[in-house]
Amino acid sequence: MAKVQVLNVAVLDNPSPFGNPFQFEVTFECMEDLPEDLEWKIIYVGSAESEEHDQTLDSVLVGPVPAGRHMFVFQADAPNTALIPESDAVGVTVVLITCTYRGQEFIRIGYYVNNEYTDTELRENPPLKPDYGQLQRNILASNPRVTRFHINWEGCAEKMEDSENVDPAPNSMLPPSCTPGKAPPLGLLPDNSMDCL
Amino acid sequence: MKLLKPSWVNHNGKPIFSVDIHPDGTKFATGGQGEDSGKVVIWNMAPVLREEDERNENIPKLLCQMDNHLACVNCVRWSNNGLYLASGGDDKLVMVWKRAAFIGPSTVFGSSSKLANVEQWRCVMILRNHTGDVMDVAWSPHDVWLASCSVDNTIVIWNARKFPEIVMTLKGHTGLVKGLTWDPVGKYIASQADDRSLKVWRTMDWQLETNITKPFSECGGTTHVLRLSWSPDGQYLVSAHAMNNSGPTAQIIERDGWKTNMDFVGHRKAVTVVKFNPKIFKKKQKNGSTPKPSCPYCCCAVGSKDRSLSVWLTSLKRPLVVIHDLFDKSIMDITWTLNGLGLLVCSMDGTVAFLDFSQDELGDPLNEEEKNAIHQNIYGKSLAITMESQLSSTIIENPEMLKYQQERQGNQNPNEAQGIGPENQTPKLTNVLNGESLEDIRKNLLKKQVETRTADGRRRITPLCIAQLDTADFLPALFNSVPILPGSSASTQLTPQISSDSSTANSLGLRPSHDPTTTSPNKTAEDNKDSGTAAVNSIGMKSNLLLTSASKIEPMKALDSRFTERSKAMPGVTSVPLTIGITPLDRVKDSSSVKEPKGKDETSSDSEDKIMVKSIAKRKGEMEGAEVVEKRKKGRPRKDAKTMPFPQTPVEPSRLTTPIAVLKLPTPSIQKSFSTQVSTDGVTYLEVENEVSVVSGSRLSQLKWSREGREWDVLLPSRIIIAAGSSNVVAVACEDRTLSVFTACGRRLIPSIILPVPMSALHCSGHFVMALTASAMLSVWDVQKQTALVKNESLNPILSGTDATVSQSFLTQQGVAVVSLSNGKTYCFNSSLETWNLIADKQDSLVQCTDFRNCVSAQDALGSMGPLALTQGRNLSAGRLASRLSSTPHHLQQGMTLAFLEKQLSSALILLSASEYRHWLLIYARFLVNEGEMSKLFLFNRSEWGLELLTSKNNEKSTIKVVCMIPGYTFHIF
Repeated sequence: MAKVQVLNVAVLDNPSPFGNPFQFEVTFECMEDLPEDLEWKIIYVGSAESEEHDQTLDSVLVGPVPAGRHMFVFQADAPNTALIPESDAVGVTVVLITCTYRGQEFIRIGYYVNNEYTDTELRENPPLKPDYGQLQRNILASNPRVTRFHINWEGCAEKMEDSENVDPAPNSMLPPSCTPGKAPPLGLLPDNSMDCL
Repeated sequence: MKLLKPSWVNHNGKPIFSVDIHPDGTKFATGGQGEDSGKVVIWNMAPVLREEDERNENIPKLLCQMDNHLACVNCVRWSNNGLYLASGGDDKLVMVWKRAAFIGPSTVFGSSSKLANVEQWRCVMILRNHTGDVMDVAWSPHDVWLASCSVDNTIVIWNARKFPEIVMTLKGHTGLVKGLTWDPVGKYIASQADDRSLKVWRTMDWQLETNITKPFSECGGTTHVLRLSWSPDGQYLVSAHAMNNSGPTAQIIERDGWKTNMDFVGHRKAVTVVKFNPKIFKKKQKNGSTPKPSCPYCCCAVGSKDRSLSVWLTSLKRPLVVIHDLFDKSIMDITWTLNGLGLLVCSMDGTVAFLDFSQDELGDPLNEEEKNAIHQNIYGKSLAITMESQLSSTIIENPEMLKYQQERQGNQNPNEAQGIGPENQTPKLTNVLNGESLEDIRKNLLKKQVETRTADGRRRITPLCIAQLDTADFLPALFNSVPILPGSSASTQLTPQISSDSSTANSLGLRPSHDPTTTSPNKTAEDNKDSGTAAVNSIGMKSNLLLTSASKIEPMKALDSRFTERSKAMPGVTSVPLTIGITPLDRVKDSSSVKEPKGKDETSSDSEDKIMVKSIAKRKGEMEGAEVVEKRKKGRPRKDAKTMPFPQTPVEPSRLTTPIAVLKLPTPSIQKSFSTQVSTDGVTYLEVENEVSVVSGSRLSQLKWSREGREWDVLLPSRIIIAAGSSNVVAVACEDRTLSVFTACGRRLIPSIILPVPMSALHCSGHFVMALTASAMLSVWDVQKQTALVKNESLNPILSGTDATVSQSFLTQQGVAVVSLSNGKTYCFNSSLETWNLIADKQDSLVQCTDFRNCVSAQDALGSMGPLALTQGRNLSAGRLASRLSSTPHHLQQGMTLAFLEKQLSSALILLSASEYRHWLLIYARFLVNEGEMSKLFLFNRSEWGLELLTSKNNEKSTIKVVCMIPGYTFHIF
């Protein structure tokens, strides 16, 4: 069973201008002292069409984690607008928060994000080239989509006991010697990153 | 009798495999199949017991549900103290649950379900060992052990005080093991399996006591469970599915000789579960009737695949009640309330039924004193005392035992316990927020949270700990007595520490001023007073239990017809008596018999049923004699406040005769023969055989040394008490207070050393010999150089003023003597300074508050091996708590980490442990660099003398190389 249970994620500074950093206040509970850090990531889905446009906004290590209930605020910069297809800038997209332990993803929390112009004029006649300065980001905080995965808490990804619960995160397949932290290339993001939505 | 089927107790129609009522009677647990997982649910008992509570919507019915088991849950069992719930399932796991008192109701994040858990039970331990489905779990009396059995044919005995330590794996069954029951006396555990056998194992050595196969030879392995049960007086064990003349029975097995002469007959299909009422009853005294000495009897419920339930009193020849068609499918589990008047039954059909008896029906339950008196009378000791003597080797036992006794006295007022309903218990938060409200903290969390960069430049956030788990007893000292800030005094209360580190696990947790020995004898005396009346009772009870019947086939026929007659009633409650079909006893054996008083409640006057009663006086005498002999053999360690058995010597301490010593350490008693393993290579053994031969009046003892086929032996004129050895030397201490030292080739090095007092502990390492005498004096000799490193140094400085005792002692490779005390402190004696130095303290606040993990590189993440690690436990990760607490400023933590690391360095140095010194030096250096402590870095450069000192002492080439690049500085240590 999972040693870490996410109890709540509060979306802070929401709604906010598009350029503001994302802020999630995560409350989680840990059953026993974790010898290793948890790795949290915020992934911004740039385009629903292709995961090519997914951006890992930030990844952060959280630790040390003794048994108990903990909270932290995960802040990450707004997505790089250059990587977002212009056609997808306005409208509904998704932001994902994932957590991995020993290279294995065990929870993935997805939120719908609606980007729209606050100005009625702009809303009715959106410019061809998105004006990010005028965009407002609204995260649908009341409706998180949570997917949990069984992982092997005792060892590394290779020793996974439950073959039926295959971790969708590709970096779980990396050998443990790969230093975590180098953000994986964007193209490596899971095919099914939208599955949970 | 009242019968109720609370429909709200269900697993959404999925089967319920197990049910167990909490010892305080306020709740019960069910286990079974969930949606796509196993499911454990905790229910409120009040709505089952009272109709108005059932209707009251403010009273919760469901308290908590846990879906953590990956597959169907086969068994749920509360510990006897009610603190834990153990569950076993098809996912091969045993989970141990504990209530988290600090959290209020909560829902699952992200789930649409609005169903909140009223109580929070969390899994505090997962026990992994079985390779197949776990079928049954059972807590031993007083929760010393937890047993689990599995379809992998094994039974695992877990140390419930030190999960997940395995005490023993009982192997011997050749089929799926499907039921377990502990002897209430604590002497045995019985298991029943698909291999058509019932095995009884001794808890003393975990060997097979008896294997019973005859009643099961006709059985087919078709039942899901085989839950057997032991009677509360310990005299009878009743099996699940057995066969007698092709009819399904529940076999009664007598403790005395494991005879299988009686059984419960009547069910049409296999018996799946038998459960004895925890109470022993005596007949209800009716007003006006002459107060005859009534005979205590037991009560037993039997559930079967035939969907019917029967309840038996051992004073009656027929069942008290039989209930047919209570369920649509097989009965899976039965549980009694602690007061003995209520009964919950669960079934494969996913429902439960509650039976409520009155005292008129069952009788007056004996209170604990009366029950203890019966035990006292039968076994010569009350249960509590039995446990203590039995577990004398389990050192941690004493304070726990004491606690148990205190608790039991507290529980004498059952009304108080009953009053605490779930709604009365307000969840309490283990406050670590220092008065700040959660809201305040949340406002500033982003600003306040500590964010650092790891060596490779990554962001690392230290989460804010807002609540600790109250799972103290499963975690290291951390949560027991954590002084969070320096300056606050360490808690003096010693809670037995459960530590994953085996070397420290032996430490004693004696509570000051509570000495178990002072309470036990009093108890015995009281019990003796009662034994006079109890004798009568127990004889009567025995006679009651020994019912026999000449006819065993006829009642079954009669029963069958009754069963069919009633089968249409839904649910049919009948009082149609079944009949105990009991095969005749060894009736010739006893001529004198005690007349059994005819029970008034008996409805049947079946003349064929004969009552065979036999005198037990004679047998009892025999048995008690046996017990006495056994006790003498086993012996019991003295429990003086100042003494304790040494864990590393598998021998028991004997009475000490030296009057000189103020401080007394226990000495091992003399054994006929014993063997010990020498050093760590695992192939060298020392065997001692005392009194191997008698030559002209003097008795010779033999010491034998063997390593991979090579061996030598020497003869000594006196009996050997302790033997120890290293790869270089072998030392033995004899009864005549001499110490002899031999080389590893068996040549005597020095003539016998005469010791002033007997030896308490003896260790060898390299060329060093360490002796700890019964008068708490320490000596260490270098037998190669023939010099004394430590001369008769008293342990007084470290022992005085504490109630602690020596829990462990050893000698390092470099000849440094290390002594660990039961209060968690470890000292070594420095022969150059001639001082005792504190090298490890389990309650050191510094340990709890350090965080140097960033400085531990991958290759030394596992920690270092050496005497320091041995005493401190390698799991230093227990620390790092303070960093999570919002109130600990970073600079304070930094200071504490520095202080801790410096302490480690100096301790490694004083222990002359080069590898550990290197280990901590590296961490220290990295920490200094990370924190930019320039001034210390330069100082540190000069502290290399420590390393030089060590390398020269150890005669080994040791280099250390740390290259740290800091802007503007390049820093090397070689």
